[in-house]
Amino acid sequence: MNRISLAINVTAIDLALLVRDTLIISDIHIGYEDALQSRGVLIPIFQLQDTIKRLETILKETKPKIVVINGDLKHEFGRISSQEWRDTLKLLDMILQYTEKIIIVKGNHDPILGPIARKRGIEIVKEYKINNVLIAHGDAEPALDKENKDVKVIIIGHEHPAIIIQDKVRRERFKCFLVGKYKRRMLIAQPSFFLLTEGSDVLKEKLLSPLLQRDLGNFDVYVVEDKIYPFGKIKNLR
Amino acid sequence: MITHLEKQNTEEELLTILHPHVRTWFHQKFKTFAIPQRFGVMQIHSRNNILISSPTGSGKTLTAFLAILNELIDSADKGILQDKIYCVYVSPLKALNADIEHNLLEPLKEIGAIAGKEFGIRVAVRTGDTTAQEKTKQLKRPPHILITTPESLAIILASIKFSDHLQNTQWCIIDEIHAMAENKRGVHLSLSLERLQRMSPAMTRVGLSATVAPLDDVAQFLVGANRDCKVVDVQFLKQLDLKVISPVPDLINTTHGELHHAMYSLIDKLVQEHKTTLIFTNTRSATERVVHYLKEKFPKHYNDINIGAHHGSLSKDHRTELEGNLRQGKLKCVVCSTSLELGIDIGYIDLVLLLGSPKSVARALQRIGRSGHQLHATTKGRIIVMDRDDLVECSVLLKSAMEKKIDRIHIPTNCLDVLVQHIHGLALEEKIHIDDLYALVKQSYCYKDISRKDFMEIVEYLAGKFISLEDRHVYAKIWYDETTGMIGRKGKMSRVIHMSNIGTIPDQSGVIVKEGEKKIGMVDEGFLERLKPRDIFVLGGNTYRFKFSRGMVAQVDRCYETPPTVPSWVSEMLPLSFDLAMDIGKFRRLMTEKLEAKKSKEEILEFIRSYLYVDENATNAVYEYFKEQYDYVGEIPSDQRILIEHTEDEDGRKYIVFHTLFGRRVNDCLSRAVAFAIARMQHKDVEMGISDNGFYLVSHGKLQPMQALKALKPAELNKVMGLALDQTEVLRRRFRHCANRALMILRSYMGHTKRVGRQQVSSMILMNAVKRISPDFCILREARREVLEDLMDIENTTLVLNLIAQGKMKIAEVHTKIPSPFAFDLVLQGHLDIMKIEDKVEFLRRMHQNVLAKIGLGKK
Repeated sequence: MNRISLAINVTAIDLALLVRDTLIISDIHIGYEDALQSRGVLIPIFQLQDTIKRLETILKETKPKIVVINGDLKHEFGRISSQEWRDTLKLLDMILQYTEKIIIVKGNHDPILGPIARKRGIEIVKEYKINNVLIAHGDAEPALDKENKDVKVIIIGHEHPAIIIQDKVRRERFKCFLVGKYKRRMLIAQPSFFLLTEGSDVLKEKLLSPLLQRDLGNFDVYVVEDKIYPFGKIKNLR
Repeated sequence: MITHLEKQNTEEELLTILHPHVRTWFHQKFKTFAIPQRFGVMQIHSRNNILISSPTGSGKTLTAFLAILNELIDSADKGILQDKIYCVYVSPLKALNADIEHNLLEPLKEIGAIAGKEFGIRVAVRTGDTTAQEKTKQLKRPPHILITTPESLAIILASIKFSDHLQNTQWCIIDEIHAMAENKRGVHLSLSLERLQRMSPAMTRVGLSATVAPLDDVAQFLVGANRDCKVVDVQFLKQLDLKVISPVPDLINTTHGELHHAMYSLIDKLVQEHKTTLIFTNTRSATERVVHYLKEKFPKHYNDINIGAHHGSLSKDHRTELEGNLRQGKLKCVVCSTSLELGIDIGYIDLVLLLGSPKSVARALQRIGRSGHQLHATTKGRIIVMDRDDLVECSVLLKSAMEKKIDRIHIPTNCLDVLVQHIHGLALEEKIHIDDLYALVKQSYCYKDISRKDFMEIVEYLAGKFISLEDRHVYAKIWYDETTGMIGRKGKMSRVIHMSNIGTIPDQSGVIVKEGEKKIGMVDEGFLERLKPRDIFVLGGNTYRFKFSRGMVAQVDRCYETPPTVPSWVSEMLPLSFDLAMDIGKFRRLMTEKLEAKKSKEEILEFIRSYLYVDENATNAVYEYFKEQYDYVGEIPSDQRILIEHTEDEDGRKYIVFHTLFGRRVNDCLSRAVAFAIARMQHKDVEMGISDNGFYLVSHGKLQPMQALKALKPAELNKVMGLALDQTEVLRRRFRHCANRALMILRSYMGHTKRVGRQQVSSMILMNAVKRISPDFCILREARREVLEDLMDIENTTLVLNLIAQGKMKIAEVHTKIPSPFAFDLVLQGHLDIMKIEDKVEFLRRMHQNVLAKIGLGKK
């Protein structure tokens, strides 16, 4: 698997980021298909199986000490169905085979993860810091004073960034990393680990994160497919 | 066996079968029997299945009901009338149902008055609008005549108590059968009829139809495979007064503005010369536009009181009010899209105007037949054409109409999604052995050839066999015991799911277009994918600027007087029928022969006058159009000749135009097959545009269209198209519809109805999930079949390829600097799509190389 360095000590590998010996993934949205089913969309389910397969490959290759799940581990806001409960534990147990510790950064979709996390002794935090790298879900602006004064790089999820690459006849959508500036710090928005769709096209969709509202044209795009491809600035792709 | 009735019954013969009170009533109301009645009444009385094809207002409805009313009165008079349903009447329109109820209650009242007593014959309407209270009433005291729609019929067949009243139904009348035979509503109905027949072995079927062909197929569709049916064909009872008119003498040297001005003046002149005019426009937005312009340009002639628009997007109240005003003769003019094609009573119309081609002879006759409502009155229709392709098309159409040559409809067969609903419904009725079930299904004309394998696959799908045992409970909708061969219902929710989810008309889905909070309409996911911020496009007749999207919602601003920057979003337009297309091709061939033989202008004009039914303006315009094409390239495509034209547009883009006048349904298929062959030969994506008259391809490579076309083997077309469709938006869209019908995506489930979240699931996710089960999964296969056979026309495409292979269809190739006259509109208007051949990763790598090259150059 190819790796691409996005900042000092921050490396992209497939849909994940590696900061020293910590692996960061975000927005898995377990239970999406269950949510569909409860609304009458009776399609067969492959999400968990696919997620495990792709994540396991990364874990085998990187052997991280810590895995940070940067928000939205599960999909539904409300109650957890028994199926989601089982699936979430299955995924967490798989990760624990390759790493010592899991930390969950709270996202907007998982207000009641507590019971699941307690069961496996997993820590749930609002944000997580590795030296001067701050990891936050990205649905709200993090405080950058006090203990966060020294932050140089911010990593967020939440956005599910993707981009439509097109020539005269063909258009295709790909997951991507966005790398730019936020309040004089470096900002990295990572693609979602939600495998059913690519995500929101940053060229024309309204971005959700309050951190991604300014100077988007100067963000660099790194497309993730079989490898990671640097595609230059957003403004040159419009 | 299908038998055409040649001999009418005499008045005396018919009178002898009528009950004295009914006879008195008939004499009071009518002078004599109408022609359809002379053919049909005795047959229905004798319990023979019958299809009656005759124009609106020819006494068709009474033909169907006279013998039935007669028999009910007779039974009531003898005191042997039971509390059960004797006759089920099905029509595709709720509005028509109300009409029919009225038209039955009145004679019953009048006959009662003659007899001096109440016969107590009950008539009731049951549709989606029927209240629960009304339904309870119907359950307690069933009507003798039940008026319903195909959807409601299917629901009552599966309801435990009400279906008891349907046992031993004597007659079933299917009205407007021509409007249902050609789509899945008809397929669905055909199985409902078999289920009804199973409860009522002696039931007689009566079909009523407007102009349609082939009558034998429609008759067999009515009665089911291997049953007998009589056919009454009195389609051409009325005198036809038809003309094609052009608003200006010269269609080519007139500006767009002048042409429109002339068109509205012409419409106004015609409307003013008549009492009441009905105008058909083909689209909803055009309907609104025409009403708006007429009011604006001729305020003295048209106001809110005397002109109105009628189309499917308008509220039911608005439409009902308009129909009422029309019946009472209060309106001077009504403009509709296609919504008044079917036979609700709209009173006296003395002129029908068609703006633009109706695309099929049958449709033209159905529309024009709305005028001259009394029998023997002349029907008067005028088709107004706006360009030269339209002129030739409508002129040939008119010729076919005058010569009674009606294009054939396509009846869908082996629809697996519709089958799902009925097996589910039958399992709710009672336990049934699969052999009996299979035999019942094969009785329907639409399933007479269904293979045991396909059938079993649907049974297993319903039983949830495609999912591992532990998760099956979510998916299984029936139980199926392989050892005993029995199936039955499963789960408490099964009946509720069935009742709230059956039907064949797909839910609207796609991207919601909003201006602020206001919903404007919907576009396809694929269309949104192509849009860039600030792009301007047309939706529902207005122009909008695209701002941004989020998920399945697109935000736009209204903009005024700005031309669109992307081709308009055209969802499936009316396609030109293949038969009519071939007739146009034949006319082209005859014209070519004259031009090649160097006949004089006068001789050719004389030929046009004698061949087509057109005025002098039109004769000249047709001549000029052909002469220009012939002088420019020396080749005219026809029914025996395909022309391939290599050309360029103003911006130097290279096009290959295929002049294949076979109608859009064939061209949709043929173009994709050719594009696929070319894309594969040169391993590059190909862009294409499709119309009724041909298609074009654009690609960056050097194309070899002749080789590609010749390389297509008729026997391999199905396989090629399966591959060619794989990545297309049209397949994804149709798959969603099929998944809906196959109860895989439920409209209503566990108390949730129409949840926005569910509506907005991308078709891509759905299709990817199903492909994982198997690329050949039955519902996906049905989506492919629907696209290839119902939306497109793979059968006639194969026919064309066979003609090429046999050398009966010649292919010529020419090069032009600017598009030839025949190619001009095609390049301008073709509906766009793209044939993807390059792998997604390959495409990405190529685009990445481009980006790297750009950055590299920037650095130097």
